[in-house]
Amino acid sequence: MVLIFGFIAGVGVHSFFDAFWSAAIFAVLLVFSALVLFFLTSRKKFFLTAALALAAFSLGVWRYEIKDQKSVPAVLESRINSEAALRGLIVDEPDERENNTRLVFSAESLRQDGQWQDISRGKILVYAEKYPEFKYGDFLEIKGILKEPENFSEDFDWRAYLAKDDIFLLMNYPKIEKQGEAGSFIKQKLFALKNNFLAGISRVLPEPHASFLGGLVIGAKKNIPEDLREDFKKTGAIHLVTLSGYNVTIIAENIGRALTFLPLPRFIGIALSILAIIFFTVMTGASATIVRASIMAVLVLLARSTGRVYEATFALLAAGFLMVLQNPKILRFDSSFQLSFAATLGLIFLAPRLEKYFSFLPKNFGLRGQAAATASAQLAVSPLILYLMGTISLVALPVNILILMFIPATMLFGFLTWFFGLFHYLISLPFAWITWLFLNYELWVVNIFARFSWAEWLAPNFSAFSAVLIYGLLVWFVFKPQLFPGFFKNNERAPLEVLRQTKHYIEKKAEGEFAGKVRGTKNSAELLTGFAPALWSKETDEFEIEEIK
Amino acid sequence: MKNKIKQNFKWYFLGLLFTATFFVWYAVFAESDQRLTVAFLNVGQGDAILINTPNDQQILIDGGPNKQVLAELSKVMPFYDRSIDVVIATHPDQDHISGLLDVLERYEVDFVMEPGVESETTVYKEFEKLVDEKQIKKILARRGMKLVLSDNIYLLILFPDRDVSKMDTNDASIVAKLVYGNTSFLFTGDSPKKIEGYLISIDKENLDVDVLKAGHHGSKTSSAESFVGYASPEYAIISAGKNNRYGHPHQEVMDILEKFKVKTLRTDLLGSIIMKSDGENISVK
Repeated sequence: MVLIFGFIAGVGVHSFFDAFWSAAIFAVLLVFSALVLFFLTSRKKFFLTAALALAAFSLGVWRYEIKDQKSVPAVLESRINSEAALRGLIVDEPDERENNTRLVFSAESLRQDGQWQDISRGKILVYAEKYPEFKYGDFLEIKGILKEPENFSEDFDWRAYLAKDDIFLLMNYPKIEKQGEAGSFIKQKLFALKNNFLAGISRVLPEPHASFLGGLVIGAKKNIPEDLREDFKKTGAIHLVTLSGYNVTIIAENIGRALTFLPLPRFIGIALSILAIIFFTVMTGASATIVRASIMAVLVLLARSTGRVYEATFALLAAGFLMVLQNPKILRFDSSFQLSFAATLGLIFLAPRLEKYFSFLPKNFGLRGQAAATASAQLAVSPLILYLMGTISLVALPVNILILMFIPATMLFGFLTWFFGLFHYLISLPFAWITWLFLNYELWVVNIFARFSWAEWLAPNFSAFSAVLIYGLLVWFVFKPQLFPGFFKNNERAPLEVLRQTKHYIEKKAEGEFAGKVRGTKNSAELLTGFAPALWSKETDEFEIEEIK
Repeated sequence: MKNKIKQNFKWYFLGLLFTATFFVWYAVFAESDQRLTVAFLNVGQGDAILINTPNDQQILIDGGPNKQVLAELSKVMPFYDRSIDVVIATHPDQDHISGLLDVLERYEVDFVMEPGVESETTVYKEFEKLVDEKQIKKILARRGMKLVLSDNIYLLILFPDRDVSKMDTNDASIVAKLVYGNTSFLFTGDSPKKIEGYLISIDKENLDVDVLKAGHHGSKTSSAESFVGYASPEYAIISAGKNNRYGHPHQEVMDILEKFKVKTLRTDLLGSIIMKSDGENISVK
């Protein structure tokens, strides 16, 4: 825990300051720790913590430094702003926009004095006409003027955004010639499967329904009309179109469920599930949100298979650590990473606290839980969105509650539509129509709410300081009972962690996996009686959960 | 699990019946319109016009510059209808045929009509390739051709009247007139003034219509005063993109339309424009 925090802090500091200042901050922290150590009574524990944290901090700074060293390959640097002929691969799925297509091209050789010369690989963002179409793994020869990306607005550091993926160069509409195909076999097959899905559903579903479904099930970004995308943003439902962690969780669960039907040993079943989740992640393009959700889903599976308790906070931290370790730049420059983590933190810490405010809603269809979850995720991402985009949706709560209820069914029927379409499109028609019904309803909700002029609140000058301030308040709201136990009466001290864990156990128990004792207080036991009969014993401050039949 | 399904079976069944009933009524309403619909779709800077007859035959004239046409089409067609009878590509410029590629990919199309002008653009090559791949029948549009859609509805081709393979693409644009009873529409693609003048010189009587789609998105290179005069439309449609970089429609054209007291409807201001005709009167939605 300490190590992870220290490491992430190190990466964070270095992404804002250069190496010298990072070292300076390190020195200040060191002195500060030494001072605290000097005055503190329980030195031993603190000494260990501080030492570990500072060591991890240095590692974080170091990891970021390595990443930051990367830049344009020397051979290409001399060619900037002049014409170059290059050969290389398309290393990512083409990003089809309304009027052009963006390719991530990895150059492998450069034409110099009539000779093809191998160079150290460098990624180039290529703007291409919509036609002819290219795909992942195409081996191309391109000829055009190499340029460095320039920031087009003050608010958005596009250069840094591209640099996080090691893209330092771009080429506008070069001459492109396809020479063959290479690239990873698995990736090619996965992208082909994705395109097969999209083609299958768009044969029987109209637009924008088909694109919406594509976004919902496999995170296909293309095709959604700009004005509809705007509406989704306005109503705070854009996370649906770009495949959010929520969708991934649904899919991961269903993969697991489907595999349990196969007569396989438990171990192999779980290994297969994990493999399927990884494949799915690659297929969707592995955006930060999806990677985060997938890692957490895999941890759920691992926890189940080893009989350990799944702890969401830990899983989230682990996911974050792995991702920052792999690419430290996402911490500061990838907003989808930041938003995804904020939202998940909200779900873990805020949702249990907010649920009581939604007691007016019925529990049927999981309505109350859904509402609390939506509210907490929205609350957690709002300051960040305000800071990044300067807008906030005021209708996000009703829109999400109205839509999220139907998302699992939409995804299921969408999947069936594709599946039966594999045999013949006529068989898939009835499923397509039902899917259409769901999609149309969801689009209708978005459309209605987007029409309110007050759906979106604009705050173009929302500062980073205000965002940090709001997050400070949120943290205080969540942790105040733990931070200042003296201020609250003893029985009001909500053992949040225990409550949440217990709820989790009960859910698990409903699946026949858990029965046992949990420590808690009377208050939490009373709260819990809503879920299951829980017996609290005053002497031991424990409550016992009965077996549920 | 199984028991639960059994318990709830009647509810599932009821849901199924309810859904089925919904779809039946949806279809009844979708098919019951006995009027001719002409929809000028909002596809940004480009043209896309869908003609839907009372017998549910569909003709799509041009497809705009991108996929936006798909979303617009589904607003004016019932969702289960995945076919378009005839697709007309007035001329092979990107802002007219690029979206047609997406239409051909997703809809079942029986015929493609084009003027037969050659173009070197990649979009056009891809378009031709796709038409071949899908084995869609290709018709070269020539003056005098008549697509008879029902007893009193037909689409008449006014231009080209010759081989246009070597012409400039705009000059080669298909010009067509749609007639239903006493109402008529004129579709002009990107036809410039000289073609307008030529059409006046050979056959001015046939140009008189109720609705004119102003040529070339309202550019001053089209819609000559004399042409608008002979067409004497009640409505003029301008299919242009919001704040497009060409400044379409040009003020000169707007002035001419003003002069003839033509009601001008613009897709950049109104979005898709849907007109209905019962053979006697035209209404705008």
